[in-house]
Amino acid sequence: MTQDDAAAPSAEALLAASIWPQVDRALAGVSARPEPSVRDVIVHIPPDQIVRGLRALKQDRELAFDYLRCLTCVDNEDDGIDVVYHLYSIAGRHNLTVKTQLPPDDLTVDTATSVWRAADWYEREAQEMFGVRFRGHPDPRNLLMPEDITDSFPLRKDHPLAEIEVLQGEGVAYSEEPA
Amino acid sequence: MTAPFTHEHEFETQDLMINMGPQHPSTHGVFRMVLQIDGEVVRDVIPYIGYMHRGGEKLAETMDFRQGIGWMDRTEYLAQHNAELSYVMAVEALAELEVPERAQWIRMILCELNRLSSHFMFTGAFGTDAGVFGTAFVYSFREREVILDLFEEISGDRLMYAYFRPGGLAWDVPANFERRVAEVLKSTKQGIKDMDGLLTENEIFRARTVDVGTISAADAIDWGCTGPVLRASGVPLDLRRTEPYLYYDQVDFDVVTGTNGDVYDRFVVRVEEMRQSVRIIEQCMERLRPGPFLPDRLPRMLRTPPGEIYLRTEAPRGEYGIYMVSRGGNRPYRLKIRSSCFANLQALRDMTIGSYVADAVVILGSLDIVLCEVDR
Repeated sequence: MTQDDAAAPSAEALLAASIWPQVDRALAGVSARPEPSVRDVIVHIPPDQIVRGLRALKQDRELAFDYLRCLTCVDNEDDGIDVVYHLYSIAGRHNLTVKTQLPPDDLTVDTATSVWRAADWYEREAQEMFGVRFRGHPDPRNLLMPEDITDSFPLRKDHPLAEIEVLQGEGVAYSEEPA
Repeated sequence: MTAPFTHEHEFETQDLMINMGPQHPSTHGVFRMVLQIDGEVVRDVIPYIGYMHRGGEKLAETMDFRQGIGWMDRTEYLAQHNAELSYVMAVEALAELEVPERAQWIRMILCELNRLSSHFMFTGAFGTDAGVFGTAFVYSFREREVILDLFEEISGDRLMYAYFRPGGLAWDVPANFERRVAEVLKSTKQGIKDMDGLLTENEIFRARTVDVGTISAADAIDWGCTGPVLRASGVPLDLRRTEPYLYYDQVDFDVVTGTNGDVYDRFVVRVEEMRQSVRIIEQCMERLRPGPFLPDRLPRMLRTPPGEIYLRTEAPRGEYGIYMVSRGGNRPYRLKIRSSCFANLQALRDMTIGSYVADAVVILGSLDIVLCEVDR
């Protein structure tokens, strides 16, 4: 359980006590910015270096992030879409969250399937739900949605929860949008 | 992986594509796979999921933190308490809520009971997959029903409990809770013995499952497998031990692992885990003391400060994670459910290629998938 101390320590102190110094060493040559969070440290890596960074984190002997817990996206509306990777090392028992921010006009990032095969379905889901294109994905078909829906991204914030449904005749309609 | 089986043909043959599902009794829900077969040997498997997709993550963004609890039950309908736990713990971590001791112990007891009921479901359904239809299924469903009765007495519902709350529980357990848990455990212990007698030591069952659908530890990790599927391959990853939550660091239990990573090991690991769950519940019952079940001061409308957390717990099928992003306010900005079966199911292709068609059903059954959790 994460428990805050009475006097909240500074962000630098939190990071120094975390896994960040080791991550910083492993990510030599990759521009990475740390951010302390509620539980796991978050590392921001630009999209063009993300796969290099992830591979370095996996192959580093001390860190050995061999297990991709989760891969998903967060729609930040005007700020583009974040791709979030949750990593874990089974031998070292440590966690890390890696984020990369995609600009709204270029939602493309390299696939992580070459690092962990587990990324396969997570990326397919993120692609159909958010419209993020994972360059080099071996099988970029829809996963959960029907195969012909490729132009509508339901988990984006600008996508309505449900379309107005006409039940019978004219004028009998309801909207699922919260008031 | 099973050694690939090769035919020597004098004539030219062609692989056959057969479709299995989505409406098929052994797909445990609505799951479809297309098998490419050469004689009796599976050459390739293409899984199709999404038939149960209800857009749950989008829905959860519109629900406040109390409404979201009920939704969690509907994603993982065989381990509802475990699913709720991840959700309420994520809210608690973001809102920095303290949970009273009694509530934590009760949560632990209910989560372990839920693991028992879920594993009973598995042993029964898996027995059916492996061809011992009837006996094992009926026996394990009898035991599962005993546990569900207790859950119904506590929460008022047989399956969709919505009993956990951010900060504690909806209400206290009934006064006869201790006696009832003792009764349930007594019947459960007998049930585990029955399962052992019916299946674990059953010669036919072993012939059907040993060395079938093997996956190595390295492959299982690479595919993101967790829970009994990963532990059967010999990796002792159990979040109750590696990242203790609730009071799992204060109770004794063993992390059960297999050696071969085959279907039989996945079955044995689950049966052995049931014994460990009984052990945990017995220790929890000794430590349970009267006290409050909710914090003293809980706001009427719960709001969390901005932040994000990936909170994971060990559900019966593996890691059940909730990635919650909050921008302040009374509902999550983004909620991602990391489903354990979703990742386990990815490894199905690796396990099945090279095995016989008849084993495909057994291998799928050994993953113990819940399609509602896969598709969300």
